[in-house]
Amino acid sequence: MGSQGGFGQSKEFLDLIKSIGECRSKAEEDRIVLREIETLKTRLSSPNTPKFKLKEYLIRLLYVEMLGHDASFGYIHAVKMTHDENLLLKRTGYLAVTLFLNEDHDLIILIVNTIQKDLKSDNYLVVSAALNAVCRLINEETIPAVLPQVVELLGHQKEAVRKKAVMALHRFYQRAPGSVSHLISNFRKRLCDNDPGVMGAALCPLFDLITIDADAYKDLVISFVNILKQVAERRLPKSYDYHQMPAPFIQIKLLKILALLGSGDKKASEQMYTILGDIMRKCDSTSNIGNAILYECICCVSSLHPNPKLLEAAADAISKFLKSDSHNLRYLGIDALSRLIKISPEIAEQHQLAVIDCLEDPDDTLKRKTFELLYKMTKSSNVEVIVDRMIQYMISISDNHYKTEIASRCVELAEQFAPSNQWFIQAMNKVFEHAGDLVNAKVAHNLMRLIAEGFGEDDDAADTQLRSSAVESYLQIMGEPKLPSAFLQVICWVLGEYGTADGKYSASYITGKLCDVAEAHLADDTVKAYAITALMKIYSFEIAAGRAVDVLPECQSLIEEMLASHSTDLQQRAYELQAILNLDSHAVKKIMPMDSTCDDIEIDKSLSFLNGYVQQAVENGAQPYIPESERSGMSNISNFKSQEDHESSTHALRFEAYELPKPVLSQNVPPILASSTELVPVPEPSYVADILQPAISAPSASDAGSSELRLRLDGVQRKWGKPTYSSPTPSTSSNDTVKIQNEATQRDSVGMSNSKTRDVSYDSRKQQVEISPEKQKLAASLFGGVSKSDGRQPSSSQKISKPQNPTSDKSRAAKAAAPDTASVKTSQPPPDLLDLSEPSVSSSAPSVDPFKQFEGLLDLKQDPTPVSAGGVGSTEASDFMSLFTDMSLNVPTDGVLDPMPNVINGNGLGGITAADHSVQQLNKGPNLKQALEKDARVRQMGVTPSGQNPSLFKDLLG
Amino acid sequence: MNDQGKPRLIRFYEFQPVEKQQELVRSIYKILCSRAENVSNFVKVDSLFGPLVYKTFATLYFVFIFDNSENELAMLDLMQVFVETLDKCFSNVCELDVVFNFNKVHTILDEIILGGQVLETSSSEVVMAVEDISKLEKNSNSIIPSIPGWQGR
Repeated sequence: MGSQGGFGQSKEFLDLIKSIGECRSKAEEDRIVLREIETLKTRLSSPNTPKFKLKEYLIRLLYVEMLGHDASFGYIHAVKMTHDENLLLKRTGYLAVTLFLNEDHDLIILIVNTIQKDLKSDNYLVVSAALNAVCRLINEETIPAVLPQVVELLGHQKEAVRKKAVMALHRFYQRAPGSVSHLISNFRKRLCDNDPGVMGAALCPLFDLITIDADAYKDLVISFVNILKQVAERRLPKSYDYHQMPAPFIQIKLLKILALLGSGDKKASEQMYTILGDIMRKCDSTSNIGNAILYECICCVSSLHPNPKLLEAAADAISKFLKSDSHNLRYLGIDALSRLIKISPEIAEQHQLAVIDCLEDPDDTLKRKTFELLYKMTKSSNVEVIVDRMIQYMISISDNHYKTEIASRCVELAEQFAPSNQWFIQAMNKVFEHAGDLVNAKVAHNLMRLIAEGFGEDDDAADTQLRSSAVESYLQIMGEPKLPSAFLQVICWVLGEYGTADGKYSASYITGKLCDVAEAHLADDTVKAYAITALMKIYSFEIAAGRAVDVLPECQSLIEEMLASHSTDLQQRAYELQAILNLDSHAVKKIMPMDSTCDDIEIDKSLSFLNGYVQQAVENGAQPYIPESERSGMSNISNFKSQEDHESSTHALRFEAYELPKPVLSQNVPPILASSTELVPVPEPSYVADILQPAISAPSASDAGSSELRLRLDGVQRKWGKPTYSSPTPSTSSNDTVKIQNEATQRDSVGMSNSKTRDVSYDSRKQQVEISPEKQKLAASLFGGVSKSDGRQPSSSQKISKPQNPTSDKSRAAKAAAPDTASVKTSQPPPDLLDLSEPSVSSSAPSVDPFKQFEGLLDLKQDPTPVSAGGVGSTEASDFMSLFTDMSLNVPTDGVLDPMPNVINGNGLGGITAADHSVQQLNKGPNLKQALEKDARVRQMGVTPSGQNPSLFKDLLG
Repeated sequence: MNDQGKPRLIRFYEFQPVEKQQELVRSIYKILCSRAENVSNFVKVDSLFGPLVYKTFATLYFVFIFDNSENELAMLDLMQVFVETLDKCFSNVCELDVVFNFNKVHTILDEIILGGQVLETSSSEVVMAVEDISKLEKNSNSIIPSIPGWQGR
């Protein structure tokens, strides 16, 4: 039994532990422990208990508390024991108090005196024990009591004491920086201590200090470098070696400090290059600790002023990490990569396969780390893949905390980099669907606003498209059970606003759906409110359009139910709806102008539309309004403007009723505004007619909501605006083209350069085709580098020929995709993604399904393709190609090159195969064909570098 | 903590009330249990605490939790240092040693980590310090006259 070392225990203690160990249930354990507590209570408080026995009881008490039971009754005995003369008892007492008490405990005051005495003891073990307690128990108030002694101990002859004194001082610094600020120089002194242990200990406080203010310690750079050098050259005592590494922990600490000091400081960095290079070279990467140092070196290098040589070494080290079998090392590799990527983004490319591997890894920690990395390397060219991945992962995890985080990251990335609105909506849909209750409500408003405002550019067609696609996707999603409330709200809002806008769905269909939603979520008032407002909108649009409204029976019953609702809000909405149903089309048109959410509903703070009325009143002898500040003199109406704020604020709380727009008044205001925004203060009784009720509905329903949105989202809007597209990042080039073509198709302008012929075949089938090519194309962008850097086989000539065909395909893919991504609900992930991200799997396997989907399509498409492939197509393609290469020359980074290989990848399943087919069969345009073949091969290699042509492509290529 | 979730030794460097301690222990155990073999030794549980490093030695989980300023791999090796030191102190340490001598294990830990900072990283230094202490304690034990007696009780 483990009673070596003079720590012998009594049989009772052994029995206690044994019986607890043999417990079968928590209840049994509790019973034993409670009995033990009773025993201890009586024994501890009995005055006759011998001291050494007390010690054991105390240890038992510690054990009991560790098991989670209250042992506070024994604290005082622990305190008493610290007073004991006997070292063993004293130490036990100290141990107990450090474990039992916190620094603000009442009993501390009883210990301080003892500590003071013990710190002066000539037995260094007593001093050490006291210092241990000091580190744990001294708070800000008691620091002064022990500070002088601790400082004195810094010069103690025993290094163990010096070490602890340094730590104690450090602790003081952490607790109350002010109290020891004059003593900080002591840490510097201890750095020069003869004993490496003390020196190592001094590094801890210095690290903290330097973290706060690096500039004050720049003079120490040379010392640190020297120390590191000495350590690395094994000039420390052998006892510090660990697994044949000289004092690795000290090295790591030093490297951390150097990283801080060298960050953003070229001069300081230069002093470190040599030693860093040395260490990295020497590091033994077979042992754990060697890798730890290596990793720390990478971290250091990544924060120093960049040095190409070191960066290269770091990149090598990272690739070693990533290729390792050990999860720990891969974890570190990913982490190191995400650090280094800030300095040299291109390095990520080499490791994409490894990164993808990590993403597929069953280890959750590794996965999360990888997502962090992806999050950092997201740009507009790869955002789709990354966000898609994140969403998939988000769906799979159950930890709400992390789910929230990753959901908000998805949203952030999507907002920042979204290549298209359709995509954004789709991504948001997914986020909402699976984490709707976890994301910020702001995001929901954001989404609604985006749908309402569209691109924010003068492209109504695109906006309409966007909306109808949103509607369509929502109608599909709606049927699913258990959608989060926030998402349902968005759905209801969008359906209400745009459900019938494109005429595709009948009002009764939409209203039926809305009723279903309201009925399915009886407990959720907000959703019901959204639903009923949506119903109101639909009906009023119908009425406004002059169509006869037949209220569905279920809708009628819903309204009736709402009329009796406990929620006044619901009640009001229901009454409003009822009132609207009884109005004629003209009135309704005014209340609920079609598609008005986008219009700025300005609250006319000045109430300028009342000017006429006021004037009239004044003419009739009324007193003009005088703002409080000017009550003394001013009485001119022309000053109305300056009063506006006061006036509106005085009325602000009295908006009890609204009036219908009157022709006279609305002349002052732009017509749109007039219809929905006129807020008329109460004191106009003449207009409060029976139309009043509906009038309220307009502002309260659509306006209140949307104006709220508008206010909140200004910041985000900018991200969405043009700047994203026009920014000079390499990725924009692809985006732009996509967008251009996007618009082109939407206008059905068939005149786009090389797209004429294909349009015809596509247009009819748009809805089914679009999603995968688009997704595929862009999806691959993240991994585009893979085929280049990892595959390596393609020669430069191949590389050039590669982009050639894709461009033509790409345009098609883009066109196909353009109609909208949102309209088709993808229950399955984009195929190419799977394909690429599972390099170990032969690429053919996952891609089969999507293929089948497209088969019908491909056949049909062959008619148009030949034309472009044979005659115009190839030349145009090369034109396109040159266009792209130009771009790539301009922007020499990966960004531009990426999109093109991507296209290959992307099209591989849908688009390209079509081309494959047709080109193969016709055998025209040899260039194109060759290139395609190469593509297939290259892609193959990129995916499984050693693999042969997969059977899939054999089939296709004959 | 052992493989059944029973804590064997807990040390906090920032005060936590007893209930919180237990909650942490439970949640850590839950996390560790759910982890497969052959995965990395690092876990990040933001909702509870910072990075966590664990390692299994026979039936025991050793878990270190630390802030972002530490190197995960180094922590793993610090754990190794700790265990090696235990091994030296107890000659072939096993779970029972830790259970029955947890005050000594605390002493050892105190020599390695003080106030939440890594104090000493050389296991032989630690062993020396611990031996000094136990030698002295033995001496002081023998001062107590009734020592032979209470061993027998």
